Amino acid sequence: MTSTVVLPGVPALAGVYARGAGASGRLAVARRLGRAPSALPDVVYTVSGVRADPQQLTAYQHLLGEPASDRLPAGFVHVLAFPVATALMARTDFPLPLAGLVHLSNHVEQHRPVTLDDPLDVRAWAADLRAHRSGTQVDLVTEVRTGDTLAWRGVSTYLARGIRLGGDGAPASDEERVPFVPPTPTGRWRLAADTGRRYAAVSGDRNPIHLSSLSAKALGFPRAIAHGMYTAARALADVGAARGDAYVWSVEFAGPVLLPGTVTVRVAHDDADGFTFAGWDARSGKPHLTGTVTPLAA
Amino acid sequence: MAASTPKSRTTADPAGPRRALVLGGNRIPFARAGGKYAHASNQDMLTAALDGLVARYGLQGERIGQVAAGAVLKHSRDFNLTRESVLGSALSPETPAYDLQEACATGLETVVALTNKIRLGQLESAIAGGVDSTSDAPIAVSDRLRRVLLDLSHAKTPQQKLAAVARLRPKDLAPAAPRTDEPRTGLSMGEHQALTTAQWGITREAQDEIALLSHQRLAAAYDAGFFDDLVTPFRGLVRDANLRTDTSMEKLATLKPTFGLTLDTPATMTAGNSTPLTDGASTVLLGSDEWAAAHDLTPLAAVVDAEAGAVDFVHGVDGLLMAPAFAVPRLLARNGLTLDDFAYVEIHEAFASTVLTTLAAWESEEFGRDRLGLPGAFGKVDRSRLNVHGSSLAAGHPFAATGGRIVATISKELHRRKAAEGGTPRALVSVCAAGGLGLTAILEAA
Repeated sequence: MTSTVVLPGVPALAGVYARGAGASGRLAVARRLGRAPSALPDVVYTVSGVRADPQQLTAYQHLLGEPASDRLPAGFVHVLAFPVATALMARTDFPLPLAGLVHLSNHVEQHRPVTLDDPLDVRAWAADLRAHRSGTQVDLVTEVRTGDTLAWRGVSTYLARGIRLGGDGAPASDEERVPFVPPTPTGRWRLAADTGRRYAAVSGDRNPIHLSSLSAKALGFPRAIAHGMYTAARALADVGAARGDAYVWSVEFAGPVLLPGTVTVRVAHDDADGFTFAGWDARSGKPHLTGTVTPLAA
Repeated sequence: MAASTPKSRTTADPAGPRRALVLGGNRIPFARAGGKYAHASNQDMLTAALDGLVARYGLQGERIGQVAAGAVLKHSRDFNLTRESVLGSALSPETPAYDLQEACATGLETVVALTNKIRLGQLESAIAGGVDSTSDAPIAVSDRLRRVLLDLSHAKTPQQKLAAVARLRPKDLAPAAPRTDEPRTGLSMGEHQALTTAQWGITREAQDEIALLSHQRLAAAYDAGFFDDLVTPFRGLVRDANLRTDTSMEKLATLKPTFGLTLDTPATMTAGNSTPLTDGASTVLLGSDEWAAAHDLTPLAAVVDAEAGAVDFVHGVDGLLMAPAFAVPRLLARNGLTLDDFAYVEIHEAFASTVLTTLAAWESEEFGRDRLGLPGAFGKVDRSRLNVHGSSLAAGHPFAATGGRIVATISKELHRRKAAEGGTPRALVSVCAAGGLGLTAILEAA
């Protein structure tokens, strides 16, 4: 039976990461002992009555290029709600190590507008532990309700590289990767060296790989890298008001964006009512992110 | 006439509002950035252009109905730039004034706005204008330093003041120079136009030809004395400093491309076929028939109609500078005119390729059908009627001053043509602007 853990408030990510690092260490020991991950904890984390802070919202909107309206951009709802999922990932019985997880993709359904005045009820759980060609992936599902209505639902897919599932470990389908061909650009993001620190300040996500060259090097990156959700939220901001009130915002992350750096982007109408976006390195032609923003039928 | 019948207004409509006339113009020669006007402010240059106009048309102490002008790169202290310039000029201090800002369409918009007031009877006389200095551009403090300074000014206790200052980092002290990048795309205007150039397949040679012709025609107009009553020397400059009488296709061909270097297609836009950063100011004297007669001034042209446009360049639907390609067909349809009805077509040369992509769009069957909703191509501009006395590539382009330069130049040419050949020749004026904007207008000889 699914158990429910009611948190008194949204946990601070710094503390969650510290606990997660401890859990990751225990998991490493378990792996060396030959105990492969096999199951997700059957638990839902909830926090009720979450409210956005107006100053944090304004800072977020200014950083991402969103108008400073009282409506929360879908990426800001993620900022508010996702630490609840992260707390779940830091549990000792979560089968994958929090430290070093790679954010593969993110899928958000914004069903109805969420405003500064709405108290938000957040539920988070993990689902669909499955094999990936280079490890094991898992979905973290976060739902945000205002009153009794589902307003926002996010699915964040993470990869634990090099970790194989116990039991039936072959990838379900060996999906072919479509090679990326850089399209005609519509714009360019010049990302300063402090982009990671600035997004950390508005999101609370102070993962050291985003903060400085030194801290990123300690974790195996040549320089600090931009938060994936920062780039995805920039693309959403570039779509602008044309996204409407209810929409699906999907992004797949490819190569990391090293800071400082320049991302060449295209954010354009697709063949229907939606938008496609892509960000890539103009020199190498390699993608950083691709995605879509499409209207959600009411 | 049946009052209830909606009737599209045409140039010949006797029931339309009264005429608004261009009576003259005056500008200072345009200087290259960091050149002769390096230490002149926007207010200095606009005042100089106004005083030249006052001297030419005997307006000392005259109370003009209203003066409207603007600058694209503007200091925050210049919130009343035009009024301050009027107060510093020989015009009556009782002359009202206002500032207007619409990127590179600023100058033309002041002409449109003031002539509309004249046509409605709100004004008898007006002066339109614009000025820009890239040499004396405002430099701002960084956003973080600005935030700290503002918080500091709101802080009440020493602790609050200390907390505000403690947030400062050394790099926050670096000044922020004005950027010409489009805020929503991060691409410069040249990079945007390079995308449009590639989209329409405009060649390097075609762009260099436009640039060469611009220099040759502007030089010829100066040599013929055409600008003698339109330009007043300033700070030792008697002609536009950017004008190169000795340029050639060979010389233009030696220049290295500066925009579109990362695209798949060959880069074709150079410093020679793009406008340079420039300093300068222009003014245009406007009035009613009655005011012109009372002041013994000769009407040069009437401002007939205008149409603004904008495109969605943010999502790559159209090129940044392509708004006039849409505005002109609407403007001409409303007035029952085609491109063939114009003796002159003035397309602001932001880049040589801006002119060429606009012409290409109008000549395209597909663009006419799919984007303009026409049966086919919109039409073809007779090149002999295009930018007949040169344009921004040769003269330079002090953003807000360009509209006034074009209107004064083509109004004088319309008047000259009518005096020589009779009839009522028309001119089409088209100016593209940052933000995907465009402003277009019809003038006819008076």
